[in-house]
Amino acid sequence: MYKTITCLTALALLSTPLIAVSETLADANVKLLEAYDGVKVSTIPDGIYLRRVNDPDDIIWERLPEYRVSMSPAPAVHESVELRVNYEAEPSFLYMTLARTSERFYVRLRWVDDTPNAATAFDKFRDGAAVQFALGSDDTSYVMGDGPDSAVNIWYWLPGGNTVQNLAAGGPGSTTVLDEQPVSGDSQYINNEGDPNEWTVVMSRPIQSEGAHNASLTRDTVPIAFAVWQGADKERDGLKRVSDGWILLDMTSE
Amino acid sequence: MAVKRQLSMVLDLNKCIGCHTCTSACKLQWTNRNGREYMYWNNVETMPGTGYPKNYAEMGGGFDADGALRLGTEPSAEDYGVPWDYNYEEALMTGTDPWLRPNVKPTWGANWDEDEGEGEYPNTYYFYLPRLCNHCDNPACLAACSRNAIYKRQEDGIVLIDQERCRGYRYCVSACPYKKVYFNEEISKSEKCIFCYPRIEKGLPTACAKQCVGRIRWIGYRDDEEGPIYTLVDKYKVALPLHPEMGTKPNVFYVPPLSPPKLDENGGTTTESRVPLEYLESLFGDGVSAALDTITAERAKKAEGGESELMDTLIGYRHAEMFKLS
Repeated sequence: MYKTITCLTALALLSTPLIAVSETLADANVKLLEAYDGVKVSTIPDGIYLRRVNDPDDIIWERLPEYRVSMSPAPAVHESVELRVNYEAEPSFLYMTLARTSERFYVRLRWVDDTPNAATAFDKFRDGAAVQFALGSDDTSYVMGDGPDSAVNIWYWLPGGNTVQNLAAGGPGSTTVLDEQPVSGDSQYINNEGDPNEWTVVMSRPIQSEGAHNASLTRDTVPIAFAVWQGADKERDGLKRVSDGWILLDMTSE
Repeated sequence: MAVKRQLSMVLDLNKCIGCHTCTSACKLQWTNRNGREYMYWNNVETMPGTGYPKNYAEMGGGFDADGALRLGTEPSAEDYGVPWDYNYEEALMTGTDPWLRPNVKPTWGANWDEDEGEGEYPNTYYFYLPRLCNHCDNPACLAACSRNAIYKRQEDGIVLIDQERCRGYRYCVSACPYKKVYFNEEISKSEKCIFCYPRIEKGLPTACAKQCVGRIRWIGYRDDEEGPIYTLVDKYKVALPLHPEMGTKPNVFYVPPLSPPKLDENGGTTTESRVPLEYLESLFGDGVSAALDTITAERAKKAEGGESELMDTLIGYRHAEMFKLS
């Protein structure tokens, strides 16, 4: 209890969130980020901890500003995707909270999904979510990077075992599992009475990292992009919804 | 897709007795474990029939007339049939269960419609069709893979899935019009017939061909003019690909089955064959008629005591002549 009170007090001392926390995904009163918008990463003060390292339901998240991006079908880069993609699909929204401590960077994602698809089977595909960081500047193609010198680092969350794969890619089709796997995650699927059901996923990684293909989070500005897969729609690979362009994270701590 | 050499297989459907020894050999060698239990890299179907997986030929895939990939679907678990086992230990050894029974309720399997066939008595018919990956010249699985995880070996044209690159997207499963790529749920990757390449590299034929008691299979390189494949496919043109209209250019060829004439209502013979020509053409294309004519003529020649290179090849006297792997 003491810890909770301390936590709440400390959070209250932070600058007041500009944006009210949305209670449900039906609430559109959440700032919509457009491509190349900058967004300040919230700082969780030292000494305040989530109940578990990636707790998706921790009370801390209610004290931090949430944003949203519009998610549309990714541009097809292979014939197999072209055959299946539906560009007419209505855009959906991905809600996110971006936070850091002095040691760790967190991304919390929420999105509507009527059905939790946690397992693969012969003709069944699982849900998924990913965040992508440009290793270099925002000149990098947000469609999986473009070449080995203009690569991206991807954190790919899979339901079921709550695995987060730490990947790199230098263009579509080149996704590679990295030797270093410093990213962890957790999730919660919520059946909302009267509202759409949703996934909540938290992924995090120590801010300090090693390895040429792990995004540097010690930069002041880090380009980030988002992707979501609906297993029920047989989405996998480039069949996914993505945010447009990069969102530019302001990583400077308060 | 140009490769330096192309290994190929011919199967004579006139000789297949449907014993499934090929299937057993393949399964014991490759697919009785580790998430592959449901897979049949090689299987034997009764034709006409639904095939394996059920109605695979209606699941799309392959290429259209312009060479573009056609959309296909992934078969469901029910289309393959859920593998079952029996409680041998409890029923036969410990006696704790009075009944020998399967551990899941069997509702479908690879040979559920075995020996059913079609037609009205006395003109009923069926034949066996063993199937494996066709190691196509133009593999739809390869074209469909967005990861470049599927490749065709330069030295022998064997089509393989790089298990390091595969991420289980299953475009290959739906793109193969023969449904000979399988998804392994345990590892979330796709797997398929590897044409027993570890055996091939030692100069040995594939397990399915070596174990075939009917000696219906020949293996060799397409460019070996002294070999059996050239004799059967190119010289006499009696071996034909399955569903050539799918556009994948298979390297597995079939000698179509001859059949006795249909009987009329008085029991007299007609000029139509028991297995309808149109049906065979729907499987093997428009070369069927000429192939059957050639086999019939060469068979008559041999029966009359004459020489026939074609029949000597099809008889398959010696394994050394059936498998030319160098």
